[in-house]
Amino acid sequence: MELQLALLADRGRARVTGSNFLVRQYEETSRLAINHNYLAEQFGDYEEIFRKIAVLVEQGDYTLGRAVDDFEARYAEIAGTRFALGVGSGTDALFLSLKALGVGPGDEVITTPYTFFATIGAIVTAGAKPVFVDVKDDYNIDPTRIADAITEMTKAIMPVHWSGHACDMDEIMAVADQHGVPVVEDACHGIKATYKGRPLGSFGATGCFSMHPLKNLNVWGDGGVIVTDDEALYTQLSLMRNHGLINRNECSLFGYNSRLDTIQAIVANHMLDRIDSITASRQKNSLYFDERLAAISQITVPDRDPEKQHVFHIYVVRVEQRDELQAFLIGSGVDAKIHYPIPMHLQPAAREFGYSKGDFPSAEAICASVISFPVHEFITQAQQDFVVDKINEFYG
Amino acid sequence: MRVRFVNLGAQFDSLRDPILGAIERISHEGAYVLGEEVERFEQSFAQYCGVEYALGVANGTDALVLPMKALGIGPGDEVITAANSFIATAGAIVQTGATPVFVDVADDFNIDVSLIEAAITSRTRAVIPVHLTGMPADMDTIRDVVEGRGVHMIEDAAQAVGAFFRGKPVGSFGTAAGFSLHPLKTLHVHGDGGVLTLRDEDLYRRLSQLRNHGLRNRDECDFWGFNSRLDAIQAAIANIKLGHIDTYTTRMREIAAYYTRSLEGIVNLPIQPPGCEGVFHNYIIRTERRDALQADLLERQIETKIHYPIPLHLQKAAASLGYERGDFPVAERQASQILSLPIYPELLDEQIEFVVDTIRTFFS
Repeated sequence: MELQLALLADRGRARVTGSNFLVRQYEETSRLAINHNYLAEQFGDYEEIFRKIAVLVEQGDYTLGRAVDDFEARYAEIAGTRFALGVGSGTDALFLSLKALGVGPGDEVITTPYTFFATIGAIVTAGAKPVFVDVKDDYNIDPTRIADAITEMTKAIMPVHWSGHACDMDEIMAVADQHGVPVVEDACHGIKATYKGRPLGSFGATGCFSMHPLKNLNVWGDGGVIVTDDEALYTQLSLMRNHGLINRNECSLFGYNSRLDTIQAIVANHMLDRIDSITASRQKNSLYFDERLAAISQITVPDRDPEKQHVFHIYVVRVEQRDELQAFLIGSGVDAKIHYPIPMHLQPAAREFGYSKGDFPSAEAICASVISFPVHEFITQAQQDFVVDKINEFYG
Repeated sequence: MRVRFVNLGAQFDSLRDPILGAIERISHEGAYVLGEEVERFEQSFAQYCGVEYALGVANGTDALVLPMKALGIGPGDEVITAANSFIATAGAIVQTGATPVFVDVADDFNIDVSLIEAAITSRTRAVIPVHLTGMPADMDTIRDVVEGRGVHMIEDAAQAVGAFFRGKPVGSFGTAAGFSLHPLKTLHVHGDGGVLTLRDEDLYRRLSQLRNHGLRNRDECDFWGFNSRLDAIQAAIANIKLGHIDTYTTRMREIAAYYTRSLEGIVNLPIQPPGCEGVFHNYIIRTERRDALQADLLERQIETKIHYPIPLHLQKAAASLGYERGDFPVAERQASQILSLPIYPELLDEQIEFVVDTIRTFFS
């Protein structure tokens, strides 16, 4: 025991762990004055949430329970669905949805090459193969190309509402229905976003959301939620997220452990009270950028479709001399980010799928030219003006 | 006198300020995903277990799934484990696509090492011994059985942090070991959490990517992975509690020793095989009159539990695996006799005395 305590005392000495690049990333970007990370400001007033957590911790009721139930009821209401289910992460929301729909080895899932890695990771983890379809100028999957990609192995279509901007759901649902293929919406960016007045996540067999710390509705760690109208799917998913247990002692199917932590449900409930104002301020900031950036000829602002209520989880525009502009802005204290520079089909991980450069020209062009600016609720107009001034200065 | 089966609030009360302070600090920094607290926990935990590497993951189930996945275990493969574990052990195997192959247990509740050899086939890729209740399975014998056959040993150490086998910590024997930090575990966090230990650098690098989408850096993905991270807040709590782990395990052993001293000759007591220093995550007695005893204890406000009343092979979920009643007679017999008494560091002396007195009265 003595030895162990001595070893513990030694724990400050860091070992280089290599693949944990996030630590370095925090260090680098936290120095920037105009930052994508707003969490420190957001939880400047966490007294109330803290009090609620302290009560829970006293009770020791850490797994599922009341706070999770409350959260799920409120979330279902927002998504306009009958059911919502808290799970471990947005990735798990996608993965569990696919598994619940019976997707497995030998199957294909149609999705976009312009997305975050988790979309593809979820498909591959389910045992299936992703089949990519190129995107439109609005960054989302091109519904007119989906039919050509459908084969008899296609078991699901997974449109991604990139940055909180709706895909063309009428067209996607039409082609899906025509071929009898279920849709799993990757709405990880899209809480409160709508398509023709209807909330994202409510169109497909399931809708999947992330509450990762940098999402519009965020918790203090990893968390996700699945919404659905289908009671059978809901029952299946409820079992799957908790080891397939019907009760403490009986297991009806071998499942997973993917629960939304009760503590995180408390945080989520607290944040739900603020989601409308968070969304409104992101929209206001984004429209202000739209207005000012439209005047710069080297910048392309996407068309804003009035039938799609965009929630701007990320504010993404296309620019000329992207890498140089990013370096210049970072040098000026602006946390300009690239979401993301390499499309999924050109990732080292995608080699096994046999795609090559040129297969999805629109996604490739987007990845080569997009840049993101912070639009979160704590950005001031003066900071936005500063960003625009710096961009103007860059293009001279 | 009420004796609850768990009392997490009591432990929290003793660490209230550091825990709330840590949550506040992390919230203030906004660094909720991986980062410093997670790295610090991983280093401390690796040192505690006497291994090169530890990796924080989302839960104890994932701590078993991820190493199997990283070792390429999948459809068509078989993985051998005990018939009496928590459902997650079998769930983890099924999750990789492999088939669980159950083996009966011995009187110490752990896998009967003499039966493993006969269960190995050409498709066997791993054996997962479960250190049930925190009592180490026979690591030496299992290693001898699997060595040289291309079969990995992956320890299910979910209940066993702080246990030793022949002087070495559990978690340091297998190709990898999975621990749970679930609220009901000795070392626990305030939600789901897990940690795995391992010695091989390549496997470690692969796993540290696998738990974080397969990412090499922010923009490049070497292989498609999962999202299975230990939350930074939970890692901070684990760091605080790891500093007290020896106090906790010492107290658990003290309570177990008291139960053993006082109940000898009255019920069947947990066996501590030579060389095994268990941590008594559960203190399980066996008696033919289990149900009557449990009811009597409950009447006196003493909560007990059964870990577990239905062996894995008789679960509905296992129907497709083709087992039937009678296949694992020891596990089945134990399931009808076992009873877990309350055991956690915060139990008071008068509470455990009350438990003992009540049991003695019941059998007198």
